[in-house]
Amino acid sequence: MSSTSQKHRDFVAEPMGEKPVGTLAGIGDVLGKKLEEKGFDKAYVVLGQFLVLKKDEELFREWLKDTCGANAKQSRDCSGCLREWCDAFL
Amino acid sequence: MAAAAQLTDEELFSELRRFGFSPGPVTESTRPVYLKKLKKLREDERAGARGGANKTRNSNNNNTGAGAAPGGGGGGGGGAGRAAPGAVARLAGAEHPYLPGAAAGSSRSRAAPPAGGSKVLLGFSSDESDVEASPRSQAGAGGRRERASALFRGLRPAAPHGAGGVSNSPPPEAARRKPSAWWGAAARRPAAASAGAQAPGSREPGDGEEEGGEEEDEDEDEEEEEGGGEQQQWKNRTVNGNRLLSFGSRDKYSDSEEEEAGARAKQQVPKEESAVRRPRRSLSKSPAPFTASKCAAAGAGMMETGQERAGGVCGAGVVVTNDRAAAEAAAAGSLDRGRNHEEEEAAAAMGGGGGCEELDSSPPTPRYRIGLSKKSPTVLLLPAPLTDMDSSKITDPPGTIRKATNNHVLSGAAASYNVESRIYSATNSLPLGGTSSLRLNHSNHTGSNHTYLKNTYKKNLSEPEEELLQQFKREEVSTTGGFSAHYLSMFLLTAACLFFLILGFTYLRMRGSGVAEDVEVNIKHPFSGKLQKIQEDEISLMMNSLYALHDKLAQVAGEHECGSSNQRNLTVQEAAAYLKNLDPEYESVLNTSLQWILNSGEDVGIKCLSNDPNEINVTNVTNVKYLESTSPKMSFRCRFRRAFVNITHRLSILLLGVAMVWGVLHYMKYRWAKEEEETRQMYDMVVKIIDVLRSHSEACSENKDLQPYMPIPHVRDSLIPPQDRKKMRKVWNRAVDFLAVNESRVRTETRRIGGAEFLVWKWMQPSAACDKILVIPSKVWQGQAFHLDRRNSPPNSLTPCLKIRNMFDPVMEIGDHWHLAIQEAILEKCSDNDGIVHIAVDKNSREESW
Repeated sequence: MSSTSQKHRDFVAEPMGEKPVGTLAGIGDVLGKKLEEKGFDKAYVVLGQFLVLKKDEELFREWLKDTCGANAKQSRDCSGCLREWCDAFL
Repeated sequence: MAAAAQLTDEELFSELRRFGFSPGPVTESTRPVYLKKLKKLREDERAGARGGANKTRNSNNNNTGAGAAPGGGGGGGGGAGRAAPGAVARLAGAEHPYLPGAAAGSSRSRAAPPAGGSKVLLGFSSDESDVEASPRSQAGAGGRRERASALFRGLRPAAPHGAGGVSNSPPPEAARRKPSAWWGAAARRPAAASAGAQAPGSREPGDGEEEGGEEEDEDEDEEEEEGGGEQQQWKNRTVNGNRLLSFGSRDKYSDSEEEEAGARAKQQVPKEESAVRRPRRSLSKSPAPFTASKCAAAGAGMMETGQERAGGVCGAGVVVTNDRAAAEAAAAGSLDRGRNHEEEEAAAAMGGGGGCEELDSSPPTPRYRIGLSKKSPTVLLLPAPLTDMDSSKITDPPGTIRKATNNHVLSGAAASYNVESRIYSATNSLPLGGTSSLRLNHSNHTGSNHTYLKNTYKKNLSEPEEELLQQFKREEVSTTGGFSAHYLSMFLLTAACLFFLILGFTYLRMRGSGVAEDVEVNIKHPFSGKLQKIQEDEISLMMNSLYALHDKLAQVAGEHECGSSNQRNLTVQEAAAYLKNLDPEYESVLNTSLQWILNSGEDVGIKCLSNDPNEINVTNVTNVKYLESTSPKMSFRCRFRRAFVNITHRLSILLLGVAMVWGVLHYMKYRWAKEEEETRQMYDMVVKIIDVLRSHSEACSENKDLQPYMPIPHVRDSLIPPQDRKKMRKVWNRAVDFLAVNESRVRTETRRIGGAEFLVWKWMQPSAACDKILVIPSKVWQGQAFHLDRRNSPPNSLTPCLKIRNMFDPVMEIGDHWHLAIQEAILEKCSDNDGIVHIAVDKNSREESW
């Protein structure tokens, strides 16, 4: 918990429901917009992509980089956030 | 290889499959990612020696961590294997054939170690005692890890192949040798290969450790400290995280070519040994071979004879490993030999702190070097505290001594850690090794070794203890400053007390003597006024006589006061006789002075009494019979005692008064609380009665058979259980009265039921819709908010504390102990918890916290 951001903690604390994609850790306004343009308008859609990649963080990071141009830290935060969410709720 | 761009989805899928990586569905969005992955995998396959697979390995580790264990493990294993530098080429070549073969089990095992390795790395770094070592080791461990993993990979494939894989093992051995060559170790490949080929099966549990050991083995013949050290460190890390380092023994085995039984004592290699080895990298691994040779007989694992040459392995650590391996191995002869060597080394070590020379004397162990502990100070005492392992004891002392000489600072911190890790590894190694071999070892070396071991051990134990003590002494010295402060405060306190005591004594003393002065003043004064007719010399004579008399009387009175005599006054005759003793002239003026005393209405310190002491005296001198002093002069001690007694009496009276007042207050409070309680109970009762009546009337409205009224005794009996009836009688009566007076919805009347007259209550209010609303919302458990299962509750609670709000309104709560009720309610609901450490109700706020 010491190295996770508040956003991460907030996201992992409860089922994501219909949260927008901007609530994912590492996904800010810019990245969120890009993802929405591509059709990933909700966090659960991104989760879906993560699951399709068989919860492989590396691949997911690659995908995120390709899709919205996330840098290493952002993609790391996002994948970690999703992984933890899956550990808790899936 | 088909161009990546022209691959169809299925082809992409199968290509990825071929690499052992299990991809998900290839869709529009995942296609580019998988293409990239395929490219990467192909590059890695081709590159082999390139160290760029670090990332791959890491990612593979990640993958495994993410849960794609088999795929990730396989990919990771493959990637890691390929990533191994140096010997990687050979290793890869050697490994690759095995990769497909050892898919399931090896991939799993491979996955575990890398994951374990990475995890171990993390765990290691978080380890306090090794926090300094880990960064350093981490820095250098990257490359090492690759190598280690490569070795590991090589080892793993060899492992599953079991006995039949002798042919297989040489290649992995060779590959492993590669890294050792990397370290600059001479290659005793054949021996190692044979050793390695020995018992892959038994190696399974110790595989993880073996890996570490293998790497160490690679360091054979090399005194490279940095390489060895880091390798060791890394291995130690792995081992510490997971299991014992059996490989360490393997390394040692490599040296002892004579032994070459191929016994592998990997299982025995305790983590500590690897950890020990880390700091003692400089020590040669020659002892290892001995142990290895010993273990060869046990047939436990592969014999890595001659592999331990690299200087990385600390001699002591190696020795330890050897010892352990020996313990577990069943080889008798080799064990003995190894043990002897170790003993020699131990003896050498014991002899002198840095006596590497002696160690070097043993032929197979030329490489003992003492200059180790630079790398990992934390591990310095690692080998020392091994108590249980008799075989390791020998190695422990040397290592400890060396370490002690080098590192003092962290001895304390490291010692405990080392002990634990050692013991843990010792215990681990024990089960891993064969008990029979252990017993064999014991039987072989009991006589000579035990006493020696004990001595060395005790000495070692004292060493770390001494270091600890030194540390503590230093700390104590540093606290003397604080002590002086403490003394200063004590001194000040004592000085203040003494000061006040002296003041008191002085006051007491003053009080006694002050009176005399008063008397003088008094005496002087009246003379100026009256009795002028008396002449000057007579006056002075009189004064002197009076002084003397006064003193005498005071003395008498003082004695009387103090209880030593029972006479307070002196008769006139006695006074006259006393005065005559003092000065004949005094007697003459006695009468004059007495007269004067009588005339002066003031208190001059001498009281004249007549026969009847109680009578206020007369003016007639002849009536004076007794002389008494009004200011008795008492001895100091007597005075002090009286004063003390006086004070005590007064104090006790004061305390008594205070206690009485406090008692009265307390009693009043208690009574008041009791009344409050009773009132509350009464209100509770009233509420209950109203509820009962209301529900009864509702039932009556639905069911016309019931009577609309309820006899009071019936209500009481239904509400109060029989055992409480006597207790609650008062409460009940009050409730009844209250209802009669204050409640408008209930009417009290008399009815005749069953022939007897009963006071009954009748519910007057027609049941309307609004009546359904309960007056006081009952505070009941409303049920669970959501179904509690694994999905809804995070495995680890985010916080150890929980704050529950809005459970009560402090304004509205009635009763004295509502906060207790709330606490009990919460505890009841959380009874299935692991344990609630603390719960607190903040009465003033609207919330509650715990």
